[in-house]
Amino acid sequence: MANDRRQRILAIARHEYRAAVRSRILVVLLGILIVTTAGSVVIASAEYASRLADYQAYRAAAVAGGATRIAPSPLAPLSLLRGAFEYIEYIGAVIAITLGYLTVSRERVNRTLPLIMSRPITTGELAAGSLLGAVWVITTLVAATTAVAVLSVGLVGHDWINPGQAGKLLLAFVAAIIYMATFYSLGAFATASSKVATNGLMAALGIWLVVVLVLPQIGDTLDADNQLPGGLFAALGLGHDGEVQILTHFATYETIRTSIEAASFAKHFERFAFAMTDVKERFRTLSLPDLFFQVRFSIVWILLYAGALPIALNRSFRKQPAIPQGETQ
Amino acid sequence: MISTVASQQLLSLRRQRVFLAALGMFVAMTAAAGLLGWSSHNTIVRVYDQAVKLLAANGQPAPPNPFLLKPELSLLSNMVVYVPLLGALLALLLGHLSVADDESTGLGRLIFSRRVSRTEYAMGKIAAAAISLAVILLAAMAVSVASLVVANQTAPTIEVVGRLGLFYGLSWLYLLVFALVGMGTALLSRRRSLALLSAMGAWLVITFTIPQFTSGLRPTASLNPIADPVGTSQRFFQITALARPISIAEQYKTASAQILATAPSEPVLHTVMRVVPVAVVAVVLAAAVMVLVQRHDFSRSSNGE
Repeated sequence: MANDRRQRILAIARHEYRAAVRSRILVVLLGILIVTTAGSVVIASAEYASRLADYQAYRAAAVAGGATRIAPSPLAPLSLLRGAFEYIEYIGAVIAITLGYLTVSRERVNRTLPLIMSRPITTGELAAGSLLGAVWVITTLVAATTAVAVLSVGLVGHDWINPGQAGKLLLAFVAAIIYMATFYSLGAFATASSKVATNGLMAALGIWLVVVLVLPQIGDTLDADNQLPGGLFAALGLGHDGEVQILTHFATYETIRTSIEAASFAKHFERFAFAMTDVKERFRTLSLPDLFFQVRFSIVWILLYAGALPIALNRSFRKQPAIPQGETQ
Repeated sequence: MISTVASQQLLSLRRQRVFLAALGMFVAMTAAAGLLGWSSHNTIVRVYDQAVKLLAANGQPAPPNPFLLKPELSLLSNMVVYVPLLGALLALLLGHLSVADDESTGLGRLIFSRRVSRTEYAMGKIAAAAISLAVILLAAMAVSVASLVVANQTAPTIEVVGRLGLFYGLSWLYLLVFALVGMGTALLSRRRSLALLSAMGAWLVITFTIPQFTSGLRPTASLNPIADPVGTSQRFFQITALARPISIAEQYKTASAQILATAPSEPVLHTVMRVVPVAVVAVVLAAAVMVLVQRHDFSRSSNGE
């Protein structure tokens, strides 16, 4: 029985994968993502190569001069992947929403949903199979993007990542898959909940706009120090201690500001991915457990979103009429 | 006949719930930009008061008044980000709906049974998009003026209103580009979703990809109201920087910062030259839409995904 169930879910997943790969729009969006990511990493790697050469020249001179203490390299090859993760955050989310939209609209337009539902398959299995197929597509996509980025760092930046860094990159890779799978669920949920599929797509893109672009930007704008070019505290002649002292009077304001940022799922993914890929200098020396501790709230938020949306997807599939009603596009 | 097509299109858009929701969202974002500006003003006042107390307690002189360092229109600087993000998507939707709806409702098959030439039809559609955008931006400008009055507690000067007018004029031109992209993709593709997503792909390329290549701006940097291009010490950027004039998202942001006086000033001619590429792209796209309307097969309704 469980085996039959697994077979049905896998059949739907394979169908989802094949259909996604054949979609022209998805291929175009994927092309934009890979070209932009590669461009971003290649540009960063070219600059990195020259800085790495400078450091190696310094190191060789120091060794030749008999220096006993040589400054460690301040360079972090993983940080060159920042552009790749930013593009997954922005364009990857749009691709995932599109994938979710196509999952529902394809069956409606082709009138294949009644056919699928005439087979001994539950809506739960349909939702699970679709999500599994989408996760395969997303994994292929993120793997291709990451491979291009890592090769660019090695070939252009002349620095290959070590096994420890590869482990952290793998964690960021998994987070990217969860992030995109959540947006996939949003796209499918919004489309399945809408009589006119295009309206569902527009609603999902509206949520993407607010969550990915608007909320983080508002949170950043409200930062007290960002009120003046060059920093408000610097303009007032205050150092870090003065800033900390003054901000104690802004506890409620800071709570509101951080809550706005916390509402953005994208911001949590960004914080986690940046912590894993050494983007923030203060995180570079931390061990993995310490890193997890630093981004613990982001991990919880990511898991909450990732749990809630597939549940909503399952419910919307259950409520969706097997025979399409009204306009299908 | 152009005015008939345009007025029919405006009436149709007014009845569109999706369009009205998007319009409401844009006006709300303008109000949010004003609210953020007001919040910024308050924050500076409160931080300044606290800084005066702190420095006095340490026996130090009061710091300089930070409002002398803050440009008057900087409280609206978020609009320079919202227009290319939210406004451009709204414009895409507007352009898309104006063509795609005629296909899905079958109007496209009927309209040419009347004495309407394809050129008149295309010009009517473009005029309707231009008028809709102008109405939206006038509403946004009114909200911006109200925000300035609330934040500064005084009526804005004529110069400030003039600068706002120029900024919204430039924004109108910029958004027209995206409305034309929405129309063009809807004319190129029979599938409605493919058309909408292709238009969105074009938006992603213009807003994020091109600034990345010409100026090394990552997506997060593209969300900053001030465009801060990377230096041209690298050979790559020495070459790609030559293409900066055609990066209309960067040109729009830089010209807007000049108009709103939120960035170090440059000669007026330089700002005018930044507007030229946006205008050229708009004219080229309008011509492309005219050609596409001539060639489009309106006898087939759109279907598919």
